Amino acid sequence: MTKTKRHHPLLMLIHLWTLAKRFIFFVVYLFVIKADSESSFIIYGRIIIFAAFGIMVITIIWTWFTHKYKLDHKSFHLYKGIFIKSEQTIPFSKIQNVHRHTSYFHRVFKVTSIHFETGMTGEETTVKFEVISHIEADRLEAHIKSTDGDALTTDDVKDTKHANLNRNIHFEPTKMDILKASFTSLSFLILIPLVGSFYSKINGIFHMEKEAKGVFMNIISSEWMVTIIIMVLVIASVTFGIVRTFLAYGKYQISSDHDRIYITKGVIEETSFSISKEKVQAIEIKQSIMKRLLGLAEVKLTSAGSLSSDEETLEINSLYPFLPVKRAYEMVSEILPSYEVKQKMIRLPRKSLWVRLIKPSWIWFIATAILFYFRPSILKVEQAWWILSAVLFILIAVLRLLEFMNTRFILNNQFIQFKTGGMTTSLFISKRDKIIEVKVTRNIIQQMVGLASIGTIHRAKPVHHAGVDDVPLELATSFYHWYMGRKNEIKLE
Amino acid sequence: MIIYKSSSLEIWAVMIIYSQMNMPQKRLSKEAVKVWIISEMIMNLIGFMIIGVLLYLDYFFSWQEWIGWILIAIVVISVLGTVWSFINPLLRYKNWRYDIDEEFLQLKSGVLYEKHELVPMTKIQSVATKQGPILRKYELYSISIETMGSSHTIPVLSKDIAIKLRNQVAHYAKIKEVES
Repeated sequence: MTKTKRHHPLLMLIHLWTLAKRFIFFVVYLFVIKADSESSFIIYGRIIIFAAFGIMVITIIWTWFTHKYKLDHKSFHLYKGIFIKSEQTIPFSKIQNVHRHTSYFHRVFKVTSIHFETGMTGEETTVKFEVISHIEADRLEAHIKSTDGDALTTDDVKDTKHANLNRNIHFEPTKMDILKASFTSLSFLILIPLVGSFYSKINGIFHMEKEAKGVFMNIISSEWMVTIIIMVLVIASVTFGIVRTFLAYGKYQISSDHDRIYITKGVIEETSFSISKEKVQAIEIKQSIMKRLLGLAEVKLTSAGSLSSDEETLEINSLYPFLPVKRAYEMVSEILPSYEVKQKMIRLPRKSLWVRLIKPSWIWFIATAILFYFRPSILKVEQAWWILSAVLFILIAVLRLLEFMNTRFILNNQFIQFKTGGMTTSLFISKRDKIIEVKVTRNIIQQMVGLASIGTIHRAKPVHHAGVDDVPLELATSFYHWYMGRKNEIKLE
Repeated sequence: MIIYKSSSLEIWAVMIIYSQMNMPQKRLSKEAVKVWIISEMIMNLIGFMIIGVLLYLDYFFSWQEWIGWILIAIVVISVLGTVWSFINPLLRYKNWRYDIDEEFLQLKSGVLYEKHELVPMTKIQSVATKQGPILRKYELYSISIETMGSSHTIPVLSKDIAIKLRNQVAHYAKIKEVES
């Protein structure tokens, strides 16, 4: 139990800052662009802006005075409201993950922000501290951790503090990893359009103003000069790519202790994420084509709480996105020993390839219809429309073939594991007790050849649907029975 | 040819296994067919009235030719749709099954697109009986069930069964599992 507290006073400053940002457009318009205007619209506009700004500032200050929080041994108590008072109680047991973000602003004032995400639906289900001192944030986090689940005695609290020191670091990227990552993220590709436009410009000068700028052209057209310029560009863009990757993934750290997983990242803006191991709903191992070529993979954790803060859509649930594949699998078993990843899985039968190939493609139909109607001639080829349509058809078929080849599936005790995707593959692993609903569907063609599609729903924000299409019917049936067996794992309250 | 035969035999074997998968047994109220046909007829009637008005306007103001063609296409599709709306309710009724026990709600529906859903009772968050004007006329109810991740409807049930089912689901759903 702690005393009822107000939020950090700097909260007012950050709110003022966002308010100012919101008003800047009006201010510039009314006081700068229309500075000389005498029209009554502008004059009243100025008065309204002044009044609104004043009211907002007062509201911000007043809000700060009324917003308070308190923690007891099992829940948050949040008090707020200027005219309508509200008191909200959020039990710690509902908290799915903790998310901390330190922006430039926070860095300047040596503070941070912390969000406790719950899995509940509806508004205001996140306990947010936009500005909070590091000490207080640590204290809150420790408090919740120590009381998570069952009420612990003070001895246990000491234990968890001790465990805090025993955090296992699983991964910190080496310089080599960052180089690989910057290569995979393709941020260096920005040089291609740059060089392209640069080259075309040189060519333009070369052709059109040959005589006028003869001397200048001698320099610019000489091959070594162009080579040097291109070299500089290449180096610049590669450096740019590496710096960007370094800023995003440089100070990455994945660690865990007995019951939580911690991910920290960011060099300038620091973000950290922690989730209790029991609350990991599923694991996803994703690989794009580039990553497959380089043997890298991304491991994502699914949480029932929301994973990105409001402003940035920065997803922090990902364990390092550029992990070597082998390390990725090892890490899953290190961090989540209760999860089992099987390397060997079952492939789909040949007939599901045919089912996939004969399925009509709406994209192709619509694209062909449009092409047929407009019949654009590309590069003076009149028949371009049906060539394009044919190319699209082949592309779709190849993509479906890839999807078929990549799809795998296995039920392994209480685990379900499936791999899907054409260009980007994703391996999805979850436990029976984490799946909240399943379905088996069969369309008319699947019914004729004895195939079925299976689907699962997981808790996430928004709920996560996953599944495999065109599995053999026997598998679908055993999947259905497998899910019925979840009673073996669930605990009733 | 022989290969084809053996594979079709295999499919039959599989179908038998599939049909053994604890299929839900309970059916909707027999009145479902009637109710669906009535509601479809009302919808069709409204649809045809709108098309009729459009056709008249087309004729009266002599709109462009292509609009007329589109309207004729719509008429053809609607007529086919009307025929289908007499067959569809029968098929829907024949294939709708549901069942509940202490642990699961099972739903099965669809002919061309068969859907088989399995929802744990512990994940059900709310259950309600609902009644539109047509259902009210025949003293029937539909049941809607909301879970954490989705919502389901059991469309047409007789009053006694619907209320009993609702209370039963509510009772089973009270049991909560430890969430983590």
